[in-house]
Amino acid sequence: MADQGRWRSDLESGLRAASRAVAVPPAPDLTGAVRQRLETDARRRRHLPTLGSGRSHRRLVWRAALVGLVTIGVLLIATPQGRAAITGVLRFAGVELRQGRGPAPAHGHRASLPGEQRTTLAQARHQASFPILVPAALGRPDEVAVGDRGRVVSLIYTRTPHGLLRLDEFAGHLDALVFEKFIAFGHVTRVRVNGSTGLWLTGPHELVYINDAGIPVSASARMTTGNTLIWGTGRVALRLEGRVGKAAALAIASSAR
Amino acid sequence: MRRAIDDAEAVARARGGDLDAYAVLVARYTVRAHRAAFLLGAGEEADDVVQESFVKAFRHLDRFRVGEPFGPWLLRIVANETRNLTRSRRRRAALALRLATAPPGGVAADGPAAEVLAAERRARLVAAVNGLPTRQRQVLVCRYFLDLSEAETAQVLAWPLGSVKSSTSRALNRLRGLFVPDEQDRVANG
Repeated sequence: MADQGRWRSDLESGLRAASRAVAVPPAPDLTGAVRQRLETDARRRRHLPTLGSGRSHRRLVWRAALVGLVTIGVLLIATPQGRAAITGVLRFAGVELRQGRGPAPAHGHRASLPGEQRTTLAQARHQASFPILVPAALGRPDEVAVGDRGRVVSLIYTRTPHGLLRLDEFAGHLDALVFEKFIAFGHVTRVRVNGSTGLWLTGPHELVYINDAGIPVSASARMTTGNTLIWGTGRVALRLEGRVGKAAALAIASSAR
Repeated sequence: MRRAIDDAEAVARARGGDLDAYAVLVARYTVRAHRAAFLLGAGEEADDVVQESFVKAFRHLDRFRVGEPFGPWLLRIVANETRNLTRSRRRRAALALRLATAPPGGVAADGPAAEVLAAERRARLVAAVNGLPTRQRQVLVCRYFLDLSEAETAQVLAWPLGSVKSSTSRALNRLRGLFVPDEQDRVANG
């Protein structure tokens, strides 16, 4: 209807005219402040702390839901080569591995997933949209955390022969990313877990949670501890992190039910 | 004198750690980003939101696809930071938008009386936009206050394109509902 189009275009031009008259305060000059922040970042990046050692395991809890970019290797980060552009990207089970520099870790407060809460295994099973697997080799977790309204569930084991272990679980069929990791690909190898492909990542790297809008959550950024194994079962993807060797990690993974 | 560099070159150099190149982008996009943050609800904290957004954008330049326009990509980060701010403070994303006391453009060509009517109409429209639900207000701000296309609005708000179209239509219909009686009154009384 001609009238239909007419009122709409009138309204649209009225809105455009009104927008020019809306009071917006003058924009600040931010070039100096932004540059200062980035230079501070660059300095701090040379002294990245690793998680875990000497810190309360509670600090680890937040990391569960990180959608992870992990920059592996302080060396990588500290060298000019490490700061160069990303040269490769590998996606696997909701996790994106990027070769290159990660975001700066959260500072001033413990890193955490959005809305992360301590809960029980039973409640976590109720909230998560995917089946939560528990490795028989580890038994019941000491703590369970749910992040981002059940998008990530973390099982925390505080007393194992390997020390503190963390198992993050998230839906296995995601096209969307859940974690990004920044890592040198030399630290990544393919492994077999229960007949499927998994990835074994040696050494600490930078991990970031990516929310369901695809945006990295900087408050979640942290360095991982020890080594990491990533695998999936089809319905659920898992990320085991801690000071654990490859054989022990594979044994834990193959016992997950 | 420094040679002017385009966005693509500035991004490429900034990715390699060139902070001078990134400063060019910061200077070029501060006003747009600040306007977006303010109009999307950051209000007085727009300065902080924009600073944070530029820092995050730099950290995630590797996610920027070569060839895509820098503006909408940056505004998506700005919109997200604004959302985080308003969400964390549990307050309405709405900022009550106000009209500047002296609207630009001066007196309308057809005289002071027409200008008064136009100013009244602008004030009513802005008040009506302030009263819309958050999503409808956001989509109108993007489309008509920030002059973004439907596709750019979808990118900035991280919504499907269909949602942008339907929310825009709902918002315009709602404004029309508020306006038509008014316009008719004016005609009838005039």
